[in-house]
Amino acid sequence: MSAVISARGLTKRYGKQTAIDGIDFDIPAGRIVGLIGPNGSGKTTTLKAALGLIPFEGELTVMGLDPRTQRDALMQDVCFIADVAILPRWLRVMDAIDFVAGVHPRFDRTRAERYIANTRLRPTMKVKEMSKGMIVQLHLALVMAIDAKLLVLDEPTLGLDIIYRKQFYQNLLEDYFDENKTIIITTHQVEEVEHILTDLLFIRDGKIVLAASMDEVGERYVEVMVAADKLNAANALQPLDQRTVFGKNVMLFDSARAGGVSRAQLSALGETRNPSVADLFVATMKGTYA
Amino acid sequence: MNTMKWLLRREFWEHKGGFVWAPLIAAIIMVVLVGGVVGYGIASGKMHGDSITIQVNGEEVHNTSVAKVVTPEKRADMARLAANNYIAVGAPIFVVLPVVAFFYCLAALYDDRRDRSILFWKSLPISDADTVLSKLVTVLVIAPLITIGVATAAALAILFFGGIAASYHGVSLFGAVLTNINFYLAPLYLVGMLPVYILWALPTAGWLMLVSSWAKSKVILWAVGVPLIAAVLLKWLDFLLGMTSGLTINSGWIIHHVLETILLGLVPGTWFMNAGGELPMPTHTGVDMLTMLGYSWSTLAKPALWTGVLAGVAMILGAIRLRRWRDEG
Repeated sequence: MSAVISARGLTKRYGKQTAIDGIDFDIPAGRIVGLIGPNGSGKTTTLKAALGLIPFEGELTVMGLDPRTQRDALMQDVCFIADVAILPRWLRVMDAIDFVAGVHPRFDRTRAERYIANTRLRPTMKVKEMSKGMIVQLHLALVMAIDAKLLVLDEPTLGLDIIYRKQFYQNLLEDYFDENKTIIITTHQVEEVEHILTDLLFIRDGKIVLAASMDEVGERYVEVMVAADKLNAANALQPLDQRTVFGKNVMLFDSARAGGVSRAQLSALGETRNPSVADLFVATMKGTYA
Repeated sequence: MNTMKWLLRREFWEHKGGFVWAPLIAAIIMVVLVGGVVGYGIASGKMHGDSITIQVNGEEVHNTSVAKVVTPEKRADMARLAANNYIAVGAPIFVVLPVVAFFYCLAALYDDRRDRSILFWKSLPISDADTVLSKLVTVLVIAPLITIGVATAAALAILFFGGIAASYHGVSLFGAVLTNINFYLAPLYLVGMLPVYILWALPTAGWLMLVSSWAKSKVILWAVGVPLIAAVLLKWLDFLLGMTSGLTINSGWIIHHVLETILLGLVPGTWFMNAGGELPMPTHTGVDMLTMLGYSWSTLAKPALWTGVLAGVAMILGAIRLRRWRDEG
C-alpha cells in the first residue's frame, strides 16, 4: 500500500522565519507514528500543512490528495485533535454527539456514548462547566468514535491525569487502531507513547533528524552501562550522549553510524540495553536550546 | 443537505440568547406593561367609573358614555384599523433584530478563531462554504422568522388587551376584528416581505462577515471604522477637488448610499426610507399592508438593490475564501 502521507521538499515560512525547511518523509498505512521534537521545532506546522489548515511550499500528499486544494474530500477520511483541545463553551455533551453524528458519516454514536459513560461527563453538561480534563475527555470520546483512516493527535492528553492518559492510549491501541488506520501522535510525554509507537520521526529546527521504525531504532541504538575501568575505551568510540546514573556512566551509541561499533563490541564495555525514546530524544536534541 | 441542517441547529444552540430570548423578553415586557395597565384600570374601576372624564372630539364626556359617542361607523373603522395594523404594535421587537443580527455577523467568523474552537469544527467534514452559508441563512432567514413569530404573538396579546379595554368602555371590537381577513393575513404579509429584506440586507451581512472572517482582532473597529474613515477621506478629496478645479466626485451621494448599504442593511424596512411619495399614506383605517407588500417587491426593480446584492455575494465569497486559511487568532 502506498504512503498515507508523503512529503517532498515540504517548506513553510512565516515571514522570514522558516518553520519547516524542505523536509521529505513517508508515512505508510497501518502505522502509529510519533512525531517528536522540542517546542517550536515545526511539529504542529507539519501537521497543519498535512491537514490543509495552512498553505505551504513543496509537495505533500495525504492519501493521494493535496490538502491545499482537496481538503473537503480529505476530511471525509481524516480526523484530528489540535494541540490545545478546545471545544466551544456553549456546547452540551449531548448536542456535541448529535452534531458529530449528523455531519460525520463515519461516526459511531454508541462507541462515543460508551467512552463518555466511563467519565464524569453528563449529557446535559456544557463545556463551560467542565474542567480542562473533562473537555479533553469529551473531545477524545468524539474523535475516537470516528472511524477515520488517518487520525492526527497533537498533544492529545494535555491536561489529563495519568490514569486517564494510560487508559486513553490503551483504548487507542486496542479499540481503535487496526492495520487500515494510521495514527500520528505528537506529545511531550514520550514515555507514555513509546510502547504503542511503530515509527519515530524526530524533528528539529524544521528538519527531520531521525525517521525510523521502532525495530530499526532498537537495532541501531545501544545504551551501555560502562564499567569504570573501561571509560576511556568507551569514550574513544564516540558515544552520542553520556550521562551519569547513580555514579555509573551510561553512554548511548549509534551502531549504524559510519565507522560505528557493533553490539558485540559494546557489550564488552558493560551491560547493554535498548535506550528509551526519551533518552534517545534528549541525546538527539542536545544543544537545541543552547 | 443533512450537514446544513446540523449547522443551522448548531447556530441555534449557540445563539438562542440573541435570536430567541432577546425578542421574547422585549415582547414579554411589552405585553406585561400593556396587560398591567389594562388590568390595573379594570381592577381599580377606572375603566367604567364616573369619576374620570375623557375628551372625545373636543367635548368632555363621561367615561360611561364612550359607547354612546362611538358610532357604529366609528367602531367599524376602529376594528379595521386594529385588524390592519395591530402587527405594528410589535415594531419595538423589530428594533431588536438588527442589533442582534449586526453583532452576530461580526462575531460569526471571528469568535471561533479567537477561542480556537475553529480547529474542532475544521476537524469535521464540513466545508468552509457550508459553514459561512449556514451563518448567513441563520441571520437572514431564521432570525427574521423568529422575530416575526414573536412580534405577531406579542401584537396579538396586546390587541387582545386592547379589545378587553375597549369592551369595558362598552365598545366590542372582537367580532369585527376577527372577521376581518387582514387580521389573519398580517403575519403573512410580513413573511412576504422577507425575501425583499434578505436582498436589501445581503450587502451589510456580506460586509460584516467579510470583516469577521478577515480581522485578527477588533472586528467592530474595522467593520465600522473603515467605512467611516473612507467617508471622511472622500469628503476631503471632494473638498480639495472643489477648491482646485471645481470638480466633484459626488462624495455625499457615495457616502449616503454605500455607507447605508453596508452598515444599515440589517434594519428591517430600509427600502421604505427612500420611497418618497410612492408609499401609501395612512388613512383613518391604517396603512394598507398589501400595498406595502407590493411596494416592497417593486423595489426589486431598483438597480441599486442588485448592485448591493452583487457586492454582498462577492463579499460572502471573500469571507469563505478567507476562512479557508485563517485557522486562529
